[in-house]
Amino acid sequence: MKHKILIIAGLALFFSVVTYIAHDLFSNSSVKYSKSNPYEYDIQHLNKFDSVSVSYNENLAFRPQMLEMHGVATDYSDRIYVAGNKFLEIFTKTGNLLKRIALDGNALCITIDPDKNILLGMEDRIEILDMDGKLKEKWEPVSQSSIITSISSDGKNVFVADAGLTSVYQYDISGKLIGHIGDKDPHRGIPGFVVPSPYFDLGISGINEFWVANPGRHLMEKFDFEGNLIKSWGITSMEIEGFCGCCNPSHFTILKDGSFVTSEKGIERVKIYTSEGKLKCVVALPQSFKEGTRGLDLCVDSKDRIIVLDPVKKMVRVFAPNIDSKNNN
Amino acid sequence: MPSRREFIAKCVRGGLLTGLVVLGGTLMLRPRRDDENCKFNFACGSCSLSDSCNQAEAVSLRSTVWQLDPSKCIQCGRCATACVITPSAVKCTHAYVMCGYCDLCGGYFKPETKTLTTAAENQLCPTNALKRKFIEDPFYEYTVDELLCIGCAKCVKGCDAFGNGSLQLQIRHNRCVNCNECSIARVCPSEAFSRVPANKPYLLNGFGTERLANDKTQQEG
Ligand code: SF4
Ligand code: SF4
Ligand code: SF4
Repeated sequence: MKHKILIIAGLALFFSVVTYIAHDLFSNSSVKYSKSNPYEYDIQHLNKFDSVSVSYNENLAFRPQMLEMHGVATDYSDRIYVAGNKFLEIFTKTGNLLKRIALDGNALCITIDPDKNILLGMEDRIEILDMDGKLKEKWEPVSQSSIITSISSDGKNVFVADAGLTSVYQYDISGKLIGHIGDKDPHRGIPGFVVPSPYFDLGISGINEFWVANPGRHLMEKFDFEGNLIKSWGITSMEIEGFCGCCNPSHFTILKDGSFVTSEKGIERVKIYTSEGKLKCVVALPQSFKEGTRGLDLCVDSKDRIIVLDPVKKMVRVFAPNIDSKNNN
Repeated sequence: MPSRREFIAKCVRGGLLTGLVVLGGTLMLRPRRDDENCKFNFACGSCSLSDSCNQAEAVSLRSTVWQLDPSKCIQCGRCATACVITPSAVKCTHAYVMCGYCDLCGGYFKPETKTLTTAAENQLCPTNALKRKFIEDPFYEYTVDELLCIGCAKCVKGCDAFGNGSLQLQIRHNRCVNCNECSIARVCPSEAFSRVPANKPYLLNGFGTERLANDKTQQEG
């Protein structure tokens, strides 16, 4: 009896081994991989800001009729301009299409100057159109390596940010190059721009202050028109107060009271800072955007509505303050 | 009337015979490694040619390899665990031409890192394969030690999210044994693997990367 039990146990063991070998050889290896993986790097938790209140609502969104869009601007009567690959589209402030203008190339940035000209950064050159979209001027290309990512004008000067050559150019309105601003110069206390990715923004405030985002240093830098660095602000942080990743803010614009609206990539968020660089309130958090969204260009209108170009959702999205927001004052 | 002893002996013999038949059948029917199959000793990993093999066919099959398309990769981490060789034949490749040489590198540092030092607790790479060297303020050069890299894609995901995507996964063909059916391809959730001509094995994303891909091909002869 004892022997019989031993033999049955031995046979059972033998068949188990054979079955295991057969299963191992024939089974599809994919079943061995569950959905979880020890090396999966989860960055979702960085996008959660549970204790942060959002002071703005999205109250309008509309879709330009172009596949690739890069720049957004408003004019004196709050019309909204969207520039992209091969097209410029002009909308009313409520998002109705007024005009569609064909372009000869890819417009990466746009501004409307005080003399009612449309200035476009066309990858490596500047083009100027009148308000009907007729080409007035085409400046000489800066360089084959140029990637012109931002343009702004006070009516006398035109400032151009070139992410390809990590430089800011100052032109007069006729297109004559006056000089470079912000190049590294330890004698003048200028640390120089660091631009790891093609997001390099600049802007002029309502009181003619000239600001450049230095994304690799997470700084906003103010220069005078002679190129002297006046002041800077910004901190590096994943937290809501700072700028995250290798290169942020990717875009900014300036409100009437001199406060800054900034957008970031990596952790997609739009925030408002005071003119001194203190976080004032939040316009939108990552949950408002598709993961991996980058290139959130910004502009504001005369009512301080914040207009965000979302190139991933392919929408123009308009944000206005929550009526009951306590933070937004 | 057979004795109890005879009955037990018969059972044992019967059991062993059945076992041997199952084991033999299993071994005969299992998928054979290609180098065992190949008449020309190519070990190309691309077929189970058996009777129909001729050299031209074998040569043509050998002339394709597996390629990983970084634009499809979602950095799930399976490249580190699913490859038939250990450590994986998939490695992180650095597209230097795109790199911003950032001090705060999203591929090198864990996101909450406070001080940007090379201390192990600050590093995202589980194997210390990503190295950083100071160039000049504020620039750092990053290099991948392929002997240490296990292809886990953590740095790739960090660079993609917070940098400019210059760290990318690639199958290194000086290590890959060109399996008939790539076992990572079987589990890759984003179908990033495909079979391509062997003279164009690398595919990198972004500006200026074509040259790097060619250089890698040439290095491996
Ligand atoms: S298995 Fe596919 S998605 Fe996952 S890391 Fe490898 S290539 Fe990327
Ligand atoms: S993090 Fe992973 S993929 Fe990147 S270098 Fe280290 S081991 Fe390689
Ligand atoms: S073909 Fe084989 S060796 Fe090459 S990456 Fe795929 S599993 Fe690894």
